[in-house]
Amino acid sequence: MHSLGWSSKLISRALRSGFSALLETTTNVTSNNGGSKSRPHFISVVCGFPKDFLTSKYKPGKYGEDSWFKTSTSNADVLGVADGVGGWRSYGIDPGEFSSFLMKTCERLVHCVNFNPQRPVNLLAYSYCELLEQKKPILGSSTACVLVLNRENSTVYTANIGDSGFMVVRRGEIVHKSEEQQHYFNTPFQLSLPPPGHDHNVLSDSPDSADTLSFPVKDGDVILVATDGVFDNVPEKLLLDMLKEVEGVTDPVKLQMTANSLALMARSLSFDSDFMSPFAINARRNNINATGGKPDDITVVLATVAI
Amino acid sequence: MSQSSATNSEDDSKTANNESVAVDSVIDFKGKHFGLESTSQDSDDYLVSGSEGTMIDVERFCHADYRIEQYAHSVLDFSSQYGIDLSISYTAPNITGRPSKYPEYGDFPQTFAMRTYGAWWDRAPSRLKEIQPQNVSEIPAEDFIVLYFEDYIIPDEIAIFETYNPGAVIRVWAYTIAKTWICLWEDKEFYTKPIYSPSRARRFTPPLKRIQLPTKTIRLEFNHQRLHYYTEIDAVLLSGKKFNTRNMQHLLDYYERQRKVLTLGSILCKLQNMKFRPICRDNYQNRLQHFLMHDLDKFISVLSDVQIQSMQRQQQQQLQSSNTDEMKISKIGLKNMPFEIMLKIFSYLDLKSLFRVGAVSRFLYDVSTHPLLYSELNLKPYWHLASTELLSTLAKRATILKKLDMSWCGCTVQTISPTEFKKFIQQRGDSLTHLRLNSTKFLNASCIDTLGIVCDNLKELSLRNCSPSPPLLNFSCLANLKNLERLDLFQTVIESDLLLTMLENNPKLKHLNLAFCSVAVNMDDVAQHIAKYNKQLISLDMWKAHFLSAQGLLVLSNCHNLEEIDFGWCLREASLGDSLREFLTQCTKLKKLFLAAVRGLTDRDLEYIANLCPNLEQLDLMGVLGISKERYIDILQKCAKLQLLDLCFCDNIMDYDVALWSRTFKVDIKSCQVPNDFR
Repeated sequence: MHSLGWSSKLISRALRSGFSALLETTTNVTSNNGGSKSRPHFISVVCGFPKDFLTSKYKPGKYGEDSWFKTSTSNADVLGVADGVGGWRSYGIDPGEFSSFLMKTCERLVHCVNFNPQRPVNLLAYSYCELLEQKKPILGSSTACVLVLNRENSTVYTANIGDSGFMVVRRGEIVHKSEEQQHYFNTPFQLSLPPPGHDHNVLSDSPDSADTLSFPVKDGDVILVATDGVFDNVPEKLLLDMLKEVEGVTDPVKLQMTANSLALMARSLSFDSDFMSPFAINARRNNINATGGKPDDITVVLATVAI
Repeated sequence: MSQSSATNSEDDSKTANNESVAVDSVIDFKGKHFGLESTSQDSDDYLVSGSEGTMIDVERFCHADYRIEQYAHSVLDFSSQYGIDLSISYTAPNITGRPSKYPEYGDFPQTFAMRTYGAWWDRAPSRLKEIQPQNVSEIPAEDFIVLYFEDYIIPDEIAIFETYNPGAVIRVWAYTIAKTWICLWEDKEFYTKPIYSPSRARRFTPPLKRIQLPTKTIRLEFNHQRLHYYTEIDAVLLSGKKFNTRNMQHLLDYYERQRKVLTLGSILCKLQNMKFRPICRDNYQNRLQHFLMHDLDKFISVLSDVQIQSMQRQQQQQLQSSNTDEMKISKIGLKNMPFEIMLKIFSYLDLKSLFRVGAVSRFLYDVSTHPLLYSELNLKPYWHLASTELLSTLAKRATILKKLDMSWCGCTVQTISPTEFKKFIQQRGDSLTHLRLNSTKFLNASCIDTLGIVCDNLKELSLRNCSPSPPLLNFSCLANLKNLERLDLFQTVIESDLLLTMLENNPKLKHLNLAFCSVAVNMDDVAQHIAKYNKQLISLDMWKAHFLSAQGLLVLSNCHNLEEIDFGWCLREASLGDSLREFLTQCTKLKKLFLAAVRGLTDRDLEYIANLCPNLEQLDLMGVLGISKERYIDILQKCAKLQLLDLCFCDNIMDYDVALWSRTFKVDIKSCQVPNDFR
């Protein structure tokens, strides 16, 4: 009931204080004054592998239980990933459905009139509310990470729930990084909609608990948004090495090649049973004797900022 | 040609031949230029039936070079939608922009769907009786949506992308820059055409009437009577010649002049249309003098000759026919009838005909303005004509007004002023028992206040779709109403406290509709109040009252007279416990039970439904998962009077099951496939 209580609070708050107060819509959005100000934009590419890559069929927008979206409007560029929690399979629920719905609805909401580029948390919140309005019940849970580039002020706003995340590289250094949110080991924060009757056994975090961050970006910045399949298998140093090579690159082909290698690297490392992956290091810290990578769905969304 | 006739009549020495030529040319003029005699039936688009001679002028105003096609930009108004306001699933804003799902067919949340379908709501205990039923057109519109497009165009084609159960659109209206609504298309074969059996999405392009005025607002009207299930629309594409807005003022002036022309008398009209005006050159005064002295008499005599000749011809024909007529012509006519008989006859007339017949003679005028004919007024079919003038005229006649339906009037155009409406209510509102103001746009806080103060005999108040978003209308004076039997607040946001007060004050309440008004309202409190104060309730609609809990359901079992209840999308908790059983045990008269998307229903609950509801006629279990097939069969067997069973989005059911049950138990079972993915 926690999730329902929260959503009622959100909806009634939205109505009582008026839509505008909650959304803080930016007012000076629609002027197209011939580019006198610099208008940054993303050059973005996607790559990934589902865990069962060799046996599964390709579906657009998903890699196994992971899901992603990227879209742009006249005043914003938006990237997002979501990782469906696999434990639902034992309840007969397809874990990819929830994350897929979340991402697709976020994409639709970006193009709505009410979209506020400065609060990506709202995307997640309203997307979650839409779940409750579907005739076909969608059950499951997922982590999510949404990143918005506001062209007006060249600032990136992010919202992250769970263990997916993003990384920003500038001049060979990581300047911003998201934090993993976990309740306990291997149990990240997650948005969830449990089947009726299972409410109390299920972890359900509200979009309010998302980590939000905002920072200005410069020309040539590299932004990586990925699910835990990447961050758990590829050490940070290796990621940094790969990302700093595409700083300032605007050729999408070169970007795609880097994204492909990143994904491939994550995949090969995940199946390597001797390698001390970040996942293994973390497990040991939690007194679990584990080595090797963590086989998981891998989603890589790679973008560079061009002004 | 006008010049030639003038020169003809100027010359006195013309022979009779030439004079007859002049007569012919006058008759010619009648046929060609005097376009009022064209066959246009609708008085409201008199601007359209301009004569052919003016076509060239209008083309000049358009940017006639290219056509544009545009999708709907935004929704200005709509009467009903399936989803709640903030959502993007099954709601009105989905109709804007490009089609998202067409040409796929299915029940998709990315489309626009309305709340009702088929004739089921007319069979429910909460059905409404029409006010002044003779006013309602043959194909009444049940719902509408008003769409705004970006550019002004002269429309020549509209394409409506229907992705589920096509066939509900019955009329297309356009709002022109002359501030009038013109009906571009009407479905004349609505009842005679075969029921469109759907399996494919349809791009519906009705043939539109050609108009000369640009528009960027379109209104679609719907009637669901013949549909099997919900209809859903993905997008609307309007195409036509682009109109150059620089010329808008010129065009408006031109049509103002045209309109003025049509309100002049016949002789002046003829003069204008014949372009028989003094040409304002240097010696125009002399020419005018000359005409007035010499030719005016001739002109008038020519006109009256024509009239006399035509009358003579008619009389000759009549004499001929009556000479051969054997029967004696009765001398008793309509005007000899007793007044009461005339009233009875006129009580079958719709409002438009009543006004027209009143223009015939003094006697008929007296009959047609008698207050007894105006005790029920329904202006909904005339929503496009309703205006402040109409209201004041009706105010003079309707001294014993009992029922008033002004739904849909004042839509997007402020033709009815709130002050005028207030005056109307103050003058005529005290004997009102039924008042319907659905989707009106002219209501403001003081109107509502007046309603509350003046109309204390109200038994039925319907304020569907009545709240501008934000701020809420101040309904507090409505707390004065104490005799309400029917209250309809569908899609209207009302303050929680006011609602509770109204429930307390109206113990005779029989029908209550609170669909969509509940996000800020605590539904459990409302349920408590209903259970305490409104025990005579027969029908209750709480559609999408998300936060009604099992507790609320339990207390509602106090209302033993309930025959119809709609808990669609309510009761979101995990399990209902015993509340449903308790409810069904106490409310045995239940005929309509809607439990769409009440996900917490279990097999046991359905067992209760089967055993405790012998009178059930309509049951909705859409979206309820985890129910076994036997439960459905159980219900079908035990509820002998069941007519409608909605099992869409339920699992464990196959198509052949549904077909078999439908045939065996003679019940209309709705089941639809789940759409493949959520692209």
